[in-house]
Amino acid sequence: MEKPSWAPYILSGAFPKELTDLLAILIIGLAGIEASLIRLSFAGLQLGPLILFLSVPLTCALASLSNTTRKLREELALFAYGGSWWQVWVRYFLRGFTCSLIAVFPLVAGEIASTGSVSLLQTSLIALVSIFGGVFYAAPSLRRIRSVEFVENYKA
Amino acid sequence: MMKYLIETVSVKMDYPHSDGVLKLYDEGVSLKVDQGDFVAVLGGSGWGKSTLVNVVLGLEKPTTGGVYFNGEDVTRSSFVKRCSLVKTAVVFQRPTAVPQLTVGQNLSLALSMAGVPKSERDERSRESLAFFGLERITKAYPESLSAGQRKRIDLARVLAVRPQLLVLDEPTGDLDSSASNLVMPLLRGLNRDHGMSILMTTALPRYASAARQLVHLKPPGFITPSNRIDN
Repeated sequence: MEKPSWAPYILSGAFPKELTDLLAILIIGLAGIEASLIRLSFAGLQLGPLILFLSVPLTCALASLSNTTRKLREELALFAYGGSWWQVWVRYFLRGFTCSLIAVFPLVAGEIASTGSVSLLQTSLIALVSIFGGVFYAAPSLRRIRSVEFVENYKA
Repeated sequence: MMKYLIETVSVKMDYPHSDGVLKLYDEGVSLKVDQGDFVAVLGGSGWGKSTLVNVVLGLEKPTTGGVYFNGEDVTRSSFVKRCSLVKTAVVFQRPTAVPQLTVGQNLSLALSMAGVPKSERDERSRESLAFFGLERITKAYPESLSAGQRKRIDLARVLAVRPQLLVLDEPTGDLDSSASNLVMPLLRGLNRDHGMSILMTTALPRYASAARQLVHLKPPGFITPSNRIDN
């Protein structure tokens, strides 16, 4: 008699295969590296915060790629209302930019609390990392709305 | 060349598949929508009604043939460019609304994108939502509503925008019979009383009869490598 097996059912989905899984691995990995490099510095710059900055664009991409169905609905509606692809891109860029800026704020606040100011280099880094956050947040959406399959979603 | 709001000239679409080519509109679709026209495109499921809407709006490019808005060749132009030539609003087969915004906010956003002054937005939204019996769900989020309610929101949106040209892809899909019965008189009223031009697709002849002009689509052909050799 044939016996049902549950192992393939579990194992077929047990290993990370998606792009979002890879991003999660990279973010956790960077956090681990940051924790181990927290006291090291190079050319006057602490390496810990630099690693943190690297994790920002990846986290923004992960946020953008998660809940794709909801974002797709948003994009379809914006087009139906007469929007264009660059308007959608700017909308998501600003969302990613704002997310990044809010996320790095505790670091800025900590710096101000300890030294009383933020250096020009640090300000530039924060601006740069927020721009990267915006770009990485908007990139998956841009890829989606420029794809051939996008308009198929208007059909039932 | 005479200027129509919309004109399609011998539009054909080929969809390559792994085992052949799906050919829509084998004889080419040529339709004209003039100011005040009400044109219905009638065809069965899978005959290319939604694809024709996408081609007219610039969301898909035809394999051959041309699309003209106000006499200008827009075959390779975007939806936004077409809207700048003819103020167009569209209701797709699948209801569309921004999920993070309430029903009222969605209408307000659509009206602002259509260039409606801020002072008029609230009143227009209220009126059009009331027409479809949706005034009580202004603060609801689209995802909490039924497919039929979301379809009515789409219709309320285009009613509020008051475009020059209204494009509807199977507007009675997802609606129950009472709501469907509301749609056709509404469209006739928009066309007759407001001079709004309408291009609508439908699979149901009884709805197509509401239009003043009818375009019949034919079933698609499918060319496989073997019948291509035969031909």
